[in-house]
Amino acid sequence: MQISEEMVRQIILEVLQQTPTTTTATKNPGVTVPPLSFREIGTAKAGTDRNEVVIGVPPAFGTAMTKTIIDIPHSDVLKELFAGIEEEGLKARLVRVGRTADVGAIAHDAAMLSGSGIGIGILCRGTAVIHQRDLEILQNLELFPQCPLVDRDVLRAIGRNAAKYAKGEHPTPVPTRSDPMARPKYQGLAALLHNKETQHVKLGAPSVELAVQR
Amino acid sequence: MIYIAGVDIGNNTTEVAVAQVFGKEDVRFLSSSMVRTVGIKGTLRNVMGVIDALDQALEPLGIARKQLDVVLLNEATPVIGDIAMETITETVITESAMIGHNPATPGGWGLAQGRTIRLEDLKTASAGGDSWVVVVPGTVEFEAVARQLNEATARGCKITAAIVQKDDGVLINNRLSSPIPIVDEVKFIDRVPVGMPAAVEVAQVGRTIEKLSNPYDIATLFQLDPDETRQVVPIARALMGTRSAVVIKTPKGDIEERRIPAGKIILIGHRQRVEVPVDEGADAIMAKAATVYPLEEVQAETGTNVGGMFEQVRQVMADLTDMPVSAVRVQDILAVDTFKPQQILGSLAGEYAMGNAVGLAAMVSTQKLPMQRLARKLEEEIGVRVVVGGVEADMAIRGALTTPGTRAPLAIVDVGGGSTDASLITEGREIHSTHHAGAGDMVTLLINTELGLENFDLAENIKRYPLARVESLFHMRHENGSVEFFREPLDPRLFGRTVVLTDSGAVPVESKELLAKIVAVRQQAKRKVFVRNTLRALERVAPAGNIRLVSFVALVGGSGLDFEIPKMISDALLEYGVVTGRANVRGTEGPRNAVATGLVLAFAQEYQG
Repeated sequence: MQISEEMVRQIILEVLQQTPTTTTATKNPGVTVPPLSFREIGTAKAGTDRNEVVIGVPPAFGTAMTKTIIDIPHSDVLKELFAGIEEEGLKARLVRVGRTADVGAIAHDAAMLSGSGIGIGILCRGTAVIHQRDLEILQNLELFPQCPLVDRDVLRAIGRNAAKYAKGEHPTPVPTRSDPMARPKYQGLAALLHNKETQHVKLGAPSVELAVQR
Repeated sequence: MIYIAGVDIGNNTTEVAVAQVFGKEDVRFLSSSMVRTVGIKGTLRNVMGVIDALDQALEPLGIARKQLDVVLLNEATPVIGDIAMETITETVITESAMIGHNPATPGGWGLAQGRTIRLEDLKTASAGGDSWVVVVPGTVEFEAVARQLNEATARGCKITAAIVQKDDGVLINNRLSSPIPIVDEVKFIDRVPVGMPAAVEVAQVGRTIEKLSNPYDIATLFQLDPDETRQVVPIARALMGTRSAVVIKTPKGDIEERRIPAGKIILIGHRQRVEVPVDEGADAIMAKAATVYPLEEVQAETGTNVGGMFEQVRQVMADLTDMPVSAVRVQDILAVDTFKPQQILGSLAGEYAMGNAVGLAAMVSTQKLPMQRLARKLEEEIGVRVVVGGVEADMAIRGALTTPGTRAPLAIVDVGGGSTDASLITEGREIHSTHHAGAGDMVTLLINTELGLENFDLAENIKRYPLARVESLFHMRHENGSVEFFREPLDPRLFGRTVVLTDSGAVPVESKELLAKIVAVRQQAKRKVFVRNTLRALERVAPAGNIRLVSFVALVGGSGLDFEIPKMISDALLEYGVVTGRANVRGTEGPRNAVATGLVLAFAQEYQG
């Protein structure tokens, strides 16, 4: 049997319609969040400042998509990550990685651009990685694979720990929770979000440094 | 000519020496081997380990097990040790008089005073007049907090400091029109009393607070009289060494260090009977123990903490040796002062204080371990005659004497897991032995407790191996300061961490303590137990109790291989003018294989051909 992308989408939507919607994690489901207003500073350059952590996001982040799988607006995602880094006394730089929607690759690209060698990669749905430039792409310092469990506190802690690694401290890894129900509950949705995110990737596109405008 | 094998079953390792005996005292050693002991020493499960060790020793020689003429087993030392920990002090804060802790990143710096006020009440606070220390709950976001504080300041309110529940100190401070000291991560913010005079101090990075850790400065800030000043001494002491602190003057606020009644230890000698309360500390216990000679039995007051601990030790021993609990007698103890991180009762920020504790090692002398039964079982399995040989300590010293450069009077020290054993052979070939409570397991316990690890395996690794800090994925700095580079990147889980360099690779240490602190704790624990017990044991076996009369001291057993114990013991014995070193059994085996070698030599001495 031929399985087309269209068919997969159809099946996922049907399954989602049949599943009773739970509102435990989703506080404001369906709420539309306005896109973020970014200012493009230019092609991202490798930093020389030991005092910085680079946050890498995929092309759809804050634009085509505006909230995570548990409806945290992308503006808040960035705010928590920035706050975590600032609390430790470091600076954050934001970069849009155009060439991929793979969280490991985004995080590694960010780490390569970071003056401290530490980067954070975060997808639109919330999946996140703390990376270091000497590591292989599929390795990581800390991985947060279950996006439905990445809430505001976890985002703050990711920023904080990334900054601590950059300072040469040895932070206690952010406790990774695991919810056995996250997979059945969110996998379909996550797949849809991944498809959507991937459509915005342009192979070979350069990474762009961004500033958030308020 | 016959082939024989000496087998030494120890607590941790089973060692074998294989030799050819040609005639009386005519021996040629062929090979040795070492495996982990299977099961508890003295039980039938040991047989598996013994067979494995025999095979390992025989394989390179091309000799089959059947070709052995006799296998010699050691008469195991019938002592077993156990350890426990008893806390004797705790810190209690009543009425929330202070917060002193080390949040990683407090905001601002300096010393400030004012009256405590809730953030939500700040809007109605009048301009001018009082200075305020604002109490900020975690429900309000840092941007909103900063905005409200700035608004109040703009209205003319004097805001001098803040106490914050979340880790937001730097974030808030960065957004203030005029910076103030902020203590953050105060977990139980709702317990902070409101409307009370308070002082907040935050030190600069890399420094510790100076004013609030000094009772006279607290007295100055709060205008205390001499009697009140006396009462704040525990507060000042508790705040020493922290980076930030809050002291709030409440009508009845107090902090005290309470002693927990832990019970008494009863030392029974040949003619004396002495009681020591455990909460007097290890030094008092050991001083009393030294006056009771010879120490015959140690009991503990029943119905107390220490009584419960002794009961537990005896129960374990009884289970192990098939003796009735009533027949198990504790014959030696080692008490060591230590610290245990404990949550302060009534604390506001979930602070910990180092409570005093006493670690106790107890040793129980058992009836002979069932070695005969073990020997018969082994005989059945391998079809070779098995003989239970001489006393372990005698055998060990015979083996140790094969170390080049030694002669009688020679003393050996074997620091094992449960007990520290020493024996001395005099010029007249007389052998004296002694066993003392407290050894390797005690050191592991001390490391585990003082670093708050709650992980015995990790503590054991910290005891056995040196530490390093992984500074990048391609280099690490060892505890002695030297740097090692790597071609291949290290495991990312080790990045930025303090690691223990075990034989099977680097293991990360999950502790907030700095490497230097961990090293200090490890070395202190080893000194408290190994060095002290070595001296105690040597004094017992030395002629006239004088260590100077022993010419040579050799360390045998696994602890002889430790990377720093031989140096520590050697340093301690230097002043006695004794030649101290790690044994080198038969000139080839190092501190290992002394007993197995001794068994073979003893057999050859009696061999008639």
